[in-house]
Amino acid sequence: MTTNIPHHDHIELSIEHSLDHCIKCNICSSACPVSAVTDRFPGPKYVGPQAQRFRHEQQPSPDESVDYCSGCRVCNQVCPTGVRIAELNARARGKIIEDRGLPLRNALIARSGLMGQLGCGPHAPLANFAFKNSAFRWSLEQIMGIARAAPLPTYSTYSFRSWFKRQSQNSEPRPKATKQVAYFHGCATNYYEPHVGQAAIAVLERNGYEVLLPEQNCCGLPLLSNGAFPAAQRYHTSNVEKMLPYVKRGIPIVGTSTSCTLTLKEEAPEILGLHSPEVRLIAENTFDIFEFLRLLYERGELNTDFKPVDRTLPYHPPCQLRAHRVGRPALDILELVPGLHLNESTADCCGIAGTYGYKIEKYQIGMDVGAPLFDFVRSSGSDLAVCDSETCRWQITHGTGVPTQHPIEILAAAYGV
Amino acid sequence: MRDTIVIGAGLAGLMGALALAEAGRRPLLLSKGQGATHWTGGTIDVWGDTEGNDLREVLRSLPASQPDHTYARVGVEGLEAAIDRFRALVEAANYPYVGSLERNTLLPTAIGALRPAAFFPVTMAAGDVRQADEMLIAGFHELRDFYPPLAADNLQAQGVAARGVYLTLPPIKRSLEFTTRTFAFLFDDPGFREQIGEQLRKERGSATRIGLPAVLGLKDPVGAMRDLERITGAQIFEIPTLPPSIPGMRLFQIFRNAIAHVGGRLQVGSEVLRGIGEDGRLTTVYSEAAAREQEHRANYFLLATGGIAGGGIRTDHTGRVWETALGLPLRAPQSRAEWFEPRFLAEHGHPIYRAGIATDDGLRPLDAHDHRVYDNVVVAGSLLTGSDPIPERCYSGLALATGWHAGQLLRIED
Repeated sequence: MTTNIPHHDHIELSIEHSLDHCIKCNICSSACPVSAVTDRFPGPKYVGPQAQRFRHEQQPSPDESVDYCSGCRVCNQVCPTGVRIAELNARARGKIIEDRGLPLRNALIARSGLMGQLGCGPHAPLANFAFKNSAFRWSLEQIMGIARAAPLPTYSTYSFRSWFKRQSQNSEPRPKATKQVAYFHGCATNYYEPHVGQAAIAVLERNGYEVLLPEQNCCGLPLLSNGAFPAAQRYHTSNVEKMLPYVKRGIPIVGTSTSCTLTLKEEAPEILGLHSPEVRLIAENTFDIFEFLRLLYERGELNTDFKPVDRTLPYHPPCQLRAHRVGRPALDILELVPGLHLNESTADCCGIAGTYGYKIEKYQIGMDVGAPLFDFVRSSGSDLAVCDSETCRWQITHGTGVPTQHPIEILAAAYGV
Repeated sequence: MRDTIVIGAGLAGLMGALALAEAGRRPLLLSKGQGATHWTGGTIDVWGDTEGNDLREVLRSLPASQPDHTYARVGVEGLEAAIDRFRALVEAANYPYVGSLERNTLLPTAIGALRPAAFFPVTMAAGDVRQADEMLIAGFHELRDFYPPLAADNLQAQGVAARGVYLTLPPIKRSLEFTTRTFAFLFDDPGFREQIGEQLRKERGSATRIGLPAVLGLKDPVGAMRDLERITGAQIFEIPTLPPSIPGMRLFQIFRNAIAHVGGRLQVGSEVLRGIGEDGRLTTVYSEAAAREQEHRANYFLLATGGIAGGGIRTDHTGRVWETALGLPLRAPQSRAEWFEPRFLAEHGHPIYRAGIATDDGLRPLDAHDHRVYDNVVVAGSLLTGSDPIPERCYSGLALATGWHAGQLLRIED
């Protein structure tokens, strides 16, 4: 199977350039949270720009340890010369999977939509019971290689989409808003955390927006990060088709999952080499929700009628937010709330990295990577932590016992909704 | 969102951001990647004097021969003010620097050369080669680019009594890949220090001081040094390694925490690609980001992206030389033929490394006709023309002095 990566697309060229930009300073290796805790990953420089010199389309991959890259992109962030190491690694993993096929376990956990549909709905208590059952989790680990201790999320008894449909039928017709956004909820909000989507809608409505809900499927990031490129490409193409009509009408796409929005903006186009005008248009018009709110604020359009929230909370900016390279939009907005103070963690990563920390061979690595963050959260003494990304929230709670919310939930509370 | 933007995360940008943050300006610092801290040995090199001259006198006499030298912009007083602030900062983080402007201290490098430095972490102090005490240089086979016998031989050849040994790494969880950071993590563990201390005590012989690669931990290097001194009965000192530099990483952490503590923000991994201005003022800069550039509107800007080595200046094979962030006019050799002196180790360096931005007395950028380009931009560090920090050995001294000074100039605006 081929992945239709054009031979001379943007990222391909920048990879070629990358190799010569790498000055072997090892700053990436000294920032990588994975190589900090395990020998199984020799570090970004080795599996990235160095091994890349030995990779050839017609030959087997020279370095299987690239599969231990968690894709956190800290290497990209710290590289003083702009080498796109994480993309090199993602593509190298894609080549391994292309050659050998995707393991069943990875094929399953990479389909978060499917996993979500499995247990979300009135039967959620049953599914949750099973997934909390230690015998079941033990068998899942033995048969599937999904770590029994890893923090599987709790299914919701209703999906976000079903709630949205119900409330738009039942609620009083609102005065027509002149401004609209299309909401990309992602799998986690739909099947596990509808309250995040509810908070997002409340906040957007407070700012005079009508929230539209386009048909959508999983963004495909779990597939991308597991190297399943053909499937990821189908997912992305399908999302582009579904959302294009909105963007063409000038309606921006706003998401609460930083990893979904990053995938729409950059991960899918760049790793898969998709650069059609339609893909471009979706990418350029997709916003992380706090990035969007910050733009409103900068234009003087944000409703800043906040109630005081007298709390000091630990905040972790997740890797997938940092990879947007837009700073700390959630902090920028939440610092406008009187009384609220967020302490930013300087930990590199929570360790879960999407599906990475669920795999039996990587679970402990993930926990070791997350240890400095867990220390930070625990030592804050707070009974609540804040993080933009869903799997990171589950991992933080798993590592600390401290419940973790999306910052949009804190903002909704500040609006009194 | 922020009214002041600093571009660059080397010492100059960090010092400038600290000055601005302490003045309550809540600066946002943007940088392409990790700054020069991680590349440098962590010493403060004010001037490469090896004759024992008073550095203040050297710098005061500099304008006579080089009236446009960058140090002339800040003066000795400006340099001292910056060093005072820097030393208070690191002292408060339990990582004190020692040394003096009265004369340089000569410290051993990883190959046993002698390197002049004005100030250096207390963990490097016992390496002063002017002291007569015998040295033991110890290292690990697993740590590349640090060869104790080579360093010791070279020191010996320069009249410094020294012997080199390799230590045996105790059983640890790691076996494959060792970087300076791997060792720093190990030295953060008191148990590991005990084991290494015991080996050093046995190996010490007649040496009264022991030099180790500068990897004595990221958390509490002074504590690590004291532990090893207690066990061995010898003085312990660190020798800077090749990058990535653990002393540099310590400095970056100290700055990051201090800047954030007073309301500043660091955004590493966001290269500034361009800026636009009107009526002699820069209004907006754009940084690289996913899918589209991020726009930053601000009132004041401090530019400290470094020179050719730091990435603030780029060149190409046609002889073009340009400033990467804002496209500011540079003073640089006209043609490629004028870039280099015939000899690689030319005494006064190569003209291309003097390429940089010319400024007025307020560190504001000037064009080729000495007209100010922007009123609200100040420039600091090795992006400034007027010096060649390679032969002058003054990268970190200039960065501290001009970064702090530039921050002071901006903090009093409005």
